[in-house]
Amino acid sequence: MECSFALTGKDYVIIAADTTAARSIVKMKVDEDKIKTLSPHLLMAYSGESGDTIQFAEFIERNIRLYHIRNLYPLRPQSAASWIRRSLAESLRSRSPYTVNLLIGGFDTADESPHLYWVDYLGTMASVPFAAHGYGSYFALGLLDRYHNPDGSLEEGLDVLRRAINETAQRLVVAPGNYIVKVVDKDGTREIKL
Amino acid sequence: MSIMDHNGGSVVAMAGKDCVAIASDLRLGAGAMTVAMNFEKIFPVTDRIYLGLTGLATDITTLRDRFRYLVNMFTIKESRSIEPSTFAHLVSSTLYSRRFGPYFTEPVLAGLERTPSGGFKPYIAGADLIGCLNFAEDFIVAGTASDKLFGVAEGLWEPDLGPEDLFETISQTLLNSVDRDAYSGWGAIVYIITPEKVITRTLKGRMD
Amino acid sequence: MNALLSKFSATDADSEIRTAMDLAEEDGLTDAMWGSQAGFGQLVQGHAFNIPAVPNPTAFLRLHTDDHADPNCKIKIQHGTTTLAFRFQGGVIVAVDSRATAGSYIASGTVKKVIEINPYLLGTMAGGAADCQYWETYLGIQCRLHELRNRERISVAAASKYLSNLVYSYKGMGLSMGTMICGWDKTGPTIFYVDSDGSRLKGDLFSVGSGSTFAYGVLDQGYRWDLTDEEAQELGRRSIYAAGHRDAFSGNTCNLYHVKEDGWRFIGNYDITKMHYDGPGAVPGSLGSGYGYDVRTDNRFSVLPKPVSA
Repeated sequence: MECSFALTGKDYVIIAADTTAARSIVKMKVDEDKIKTLSPHLLMAYSGESGDTIQFAEFIERNIRLYHIRNLYPLRPQSAASWIRRSLAESLRSRSPYTVNLLIGGFDTADESPHLYWVDYLGTMASVPFAAHGYGSYFALGLLDRYHNPDGSLEEGLDVLRRAINETAQRLVVAPGNYIVKVVDKDGTREIKL
Repeated sequence: MSIMDHNGGSVVAMAGKDCVAIASDLRLGAGAMTVAMNFEKIFPVTDRIYLGLTGLATDITTLRDRFRYLVNMFTIKESRSIEPSTFAHLVSSTLYSRRFGPYFTEPVLAGLERTPSGGFKPYIAGADLIGCLNFAEDFIVAGTASDKLFGVAEGLWEPDLGPEDLFETISQTLLNSVDRDAYSGWGAIVYIITPEKVITRTLKGRMD
Repeated sequence: MNALLSKFSATDADSEIRTAMDLAEEDGLTDAMWGSQAGFGQLVQGHAFNIPAVPNPTAFLRLHTDDHADPNCKIKIQHGTTTLAFRFQGGVIVAVDSRATAGSYIASGTVKKVIEINPYLLGTMAGGAADCQYWETYLGIQCRLHELRNRERISVAAASKYLSNLVYSYKGMGLSMGTMICGWDKTGPTIFYVDSDGSRLKGDLFSVGSGSTFAYGVLDQGYRWDLTDEEAQELGRRSIYAAGHRDAFSGNTCNLYHVKEDGWRFIGNYDITKMHYDGPGAVPGSLGSGYGYDVRTDNRFSVLPKPVSA
């Protein structure tokens, strides 16, 4: 089953998402990247109903890009998250709502601070120091309360992420095998091998 | 579980002597799991009106934004700030405009209404999810702990409390009620509105 | 005369009970009035439960108690819980929360979810509170009878097997239990997980209940076989705190037990909110500060003003 984790640290946000694309009981793909880079300092991990996820993520990606082209500056993480939330909330009461859960992580270059938002398919949004979606969240949240350090270095953050992934692998019956990990900080976004 | 209970959370408002108070918990849940402990449900509308929203969190955020827009438009068009009684009807008609596909929220509002003599009168009101207004002289409750809040408030509230006494009464009412509700709690925030200023206090509550 | 002789010559516990019941019958006492066995008297002649007079009693019970299917049903059985037990170098740690909920209402915050079966055996309570309490107390009776009959303590394996077989015989009739039978016997510290499906698992580390996943997160990451007694007790407390904090249906307080070679010992009762803000108090193994995330990180993340006490 799909799992995604994210955590903030000293001037960075790490986002991890599993890489399986499943249909019924079959793994259709095992190296799917489910974290989009929306703008130079903004990442979004998406999971949920297949079809909805990619359609919605691409819609968001294009519109955030359009804003960047039109205004020369990208949306700040707070504003981007707020607009994405609104898109989901409006979709919820449409004929066919998007069933997509998101983790939005960004680095605000204006006030030089990391931001992380937990957003679910209903359009519920919360600003949090760490977050998770999927069954992995039930195992990770207790552990992150214990080990997460908001002032930790990148290496420390990755260690905590490893714990969360390791715990999920150990206890969750339907745990995913592989994750893709991306980081956003003042230098922009990049993928990291765990 | 009802859709109104999915995210949890509770709000209570109380009238005092020349002051009103409104308080909420800080939990945001997804069913039984607590996702965040910093989810505010009370928003300033003007410097004398605060609006509390309980129920489905997505609608709380949507309505907060919507009321901010509507109140800004009112302020610009009328060149004056909105009064609590006017705002109550704005809330009511906004909710009723979704009569056949409602926002799953129960609002509570607390404010000070300007009297013809130039003074201020406490004004508190609540509504159901499709906008049936409910005015009260004493207190208004809403949220997953509303039944518990009714009981405790009925026991603790008394007329003509000053700001500090009202703060104590509303704080104890909220904290003790949410301690008996699985879906509310994890800290609380209280606003005391007086003609001069608004006092904001974050409370230490049970974190389980 | 023979009957009278056997009555007074018998020495095993079974016949003691039989003797006493025979005497009671002579006095015209019925089973229902039999108080000295705390209501378990009727069980001596097999479990005589009253069954609702409907064609399908099982379906009838499910119709009125299953609050997952129907939240408005009349009878609500206690569901949310966090319990855990783990084995380590220094014995067994058993830790549980103390919350009882009926729907969203917190019916009690002082429930005893560890059942003291005898000085060497503990049982934990998850699922139906009454089911666990009744059958684990009943298990205590049977363990005592085993002791009297065989002049030695029952093994944890045997005790748990007895319970497992018993609840399995009621399978499909609505019993709901997820319990850990913990103790110290000839083989050393032992834990068995027994549930009402009929599962019985031997293991080093278990957690049961709605908050178990949160507890597992902390427990697994902190667990080692060579934990000291103090470290192990702290891990038990910290794990229950994690569950109480994140799970709406777990919380209030943590009850902690430690089983060693000479039997179990109650370590203490810890308020979960007190642990959040101030830590478990002056206990060995604790850091002496609050477990809470905002407390631990000194509100570095929180955008709200620092909380005050009302």
